[in-house]
Amino acid sequence: MTIPEYDTVFQQVKTLLQEHAQLQAPIKDDTDLINDLGFDSLKLMEMLEEVEDMFDITYPLNDLSNLQTVKDFVLQIQQIVGSE
Amino acid sequence: MGILDKLNAMAVTRETLLPEGINPFNVVIEEIYSATEGSIDGQRVILAGTNNYLGLTFDPRCIAAAQETLGKEGTGTTGSRMANGTFSGHRALEKELALFYGCNSAIVFSTGFVTNLGVVSTLAGPGDVIVLDADSHASIYDACKMSGAKMIRFRHNNMVDLEKKLGRLGSKSANTLIIVEGIYSMLGDCAPLAEIVALKKKYGAWLMVDEAHSMGVLGERGRGLAEAVGVEQDVDFTVGTFSKSLGSIGGYCVSNHRELDLVRYLSRSYIFTASPSPASISSVRAALKVIGSEPQLRTKLWKNVEQLYQGLKQLGFELGADPSPIVAIRVPTKESALFAWKAILVKGIYVNMVIPPAAPAGLSLLRCSISAAHTSEQIDYILKTFADLKPMMTTAMA
Repeated sequence: MTIPEYDTVFQQVKTLLQEHAQLQAPIKDDTDLINDLGFDSLKLMEMLEEVEDMFDITYPLNDLSNLQTVKDFVLQIQQIVGSE
Repeated sequence: MGILDKLNAMAVTRETLLPEGINPFNVVIEEIYSATEGSIDGQRVILAGTNNYLGLTFDPRCIAAAQETLGKEGTGTTGSRMANGTFSGHRALEKELALFYGCNSAIVFSTGFVTNLGVVSTLAGPGDVIVLDADSHASIYDACKMSGAKMIRFRHNNMVDLEKKLGRLGSKSANTLIIVEGIYSMLGDCAPLAEIVALKKKYGAWLMVDEAHSMGVLGERGRGLAEAVGVEQDVDFTVGTFSKSLGSIGGYCVSNHRELDLVRYLSRSYIFTASPSPASISSVRAALKVIGSEPQLRTKLWKNVEQLYQGLKQLGFELGADPSPIVAIRVPTKESALFAWKAILVKGIYVNMVIPPAAPAGLSLLRCSISAAHTSEQIDYILKTFADLKPMMTTAMA
C-alpha cells in the first residue's frame, strides 16, 4: 500500500489525540503521549481502535512499547500502512 | 526521576479515591463460616463476590480428601513440577482431567495465572501471531507479551473485527493463535464460540479457550462453553483454573494435541515455580468427581443466577448482556461505585468493586458472583438491599 505523507497522518492523528488526551497540551512532533497528554496503556488501546478504522490497518500491541512521542506514533502508522 | 516515583503517584490516586474507611481493594475476610458467609470489618456478611460458583470450598468430601492428604503427604511439595514437585496426586489429577474433558493430554500448573503464562508463551513465539479478545484477562495479556509473538487485539466479541484481522494476516494465519474466554470475568458475558470456531477454520488458525469462569458452570457435564456450544473438537487448547468452581488453587491445560505434553519441558512457569500443595490437589480431585457426578449443582446454580439476574433487571439496574454467575451492575462513576460498595457492605453483603482499568470500556461495576450454595433467602436479601440502595447505586458522583 502507498505510504501516506507524514503531514497528512499527523493532521489526522492530531484530531484523535485532542479528542482522547487526558491532559491539555499543544500537539507537536515532540509532545509526549504519557507525560504531556496523560495517556495510559488503556486509553492508548481505546484510541488505537479508531486509528485502525481511520487507516484501515491492524496495529499490533507490541508497537505500543516503542511509543513515546507524537512523532513516534505518526511514523509507526506510516510504517504499518506501508506494510499492509 | 526515582524508581519509587510511580508508586508515590499511586499513593495520591489511592488517597483521592479511598479517603477513609475500609479499602475495597484490601479487604480482609476475618472469619469464613461457609461458602456464602464470612466476617468482614467485624460484621457477618453474605459473600456474593467470591467466584465459588458451586460452593465446593466447604464440601465435606473435598475437605476430607484434603485433610487425609495433608496428614499423609505434608503441607507442601517444596519444589517445581519438573524437579521434586510432582507427586502421584499431580499425575493422577492430570489423567482425571484428560478423562473429564475426553482429551489426550493434560498439564497441571500452580495457578490459573501461571497456566496462561506457561501455555501461551510456550505455544506462541517470535514469528507467530496471537489474536486476543480485548476483554481478555491480565494473565493472557502478560502471557502474550512474554511470548514474543505479534500481538493483535480484536474488539470484544466483535466477529467483524476478528475476521478483518484474520483476513489481513494472509499465510500467517497458520501460525496464529486466537485466544478467547468462555465467560468473561468482569461482565459475565460469553464468547460467540461457534462463530469464532467458524473463523478459525476458515483462516486455518489455532484456538485456545480460557474456561476459568465457565468450567463447572456451562455444559451438560460442566466442561464449559465449548461443551455447551458443541465445538469441543475444534478447540485446540483449553485452559482453566482450580480456584473457581473447583474451590482450590491451581490451573490446567488440556488438549487433543499430544504435543501439549512437551510444554512441560519448555514452560518457565511450570519449571521454575513450586507445584500445588498435595492437599490442594486432593481437594481438586474430589471436586472434579463432584462436578462430574452431580449435575444438580449446576441446576441449582442457574436457578440462583436467574433469581438474582431477573430480580435486578426488574429493579431496573443496568446489567451485563447475558445471565451468568457473574452479574455485573453498571454504576455511573468510580466514586458512586465506592460509595455504594461501602453501603452494601454495611448492610451485610460483600460484592466486588471494579473500576478502570480492571473493568473494560471505562466502566465502573459492582460485580456479584453467585453460587449454588447461596440460598433463595440470601438472594432475596441481596435484592431487597439493592432495591433500597438503588438511588445511591445509580446516581453519578464525582
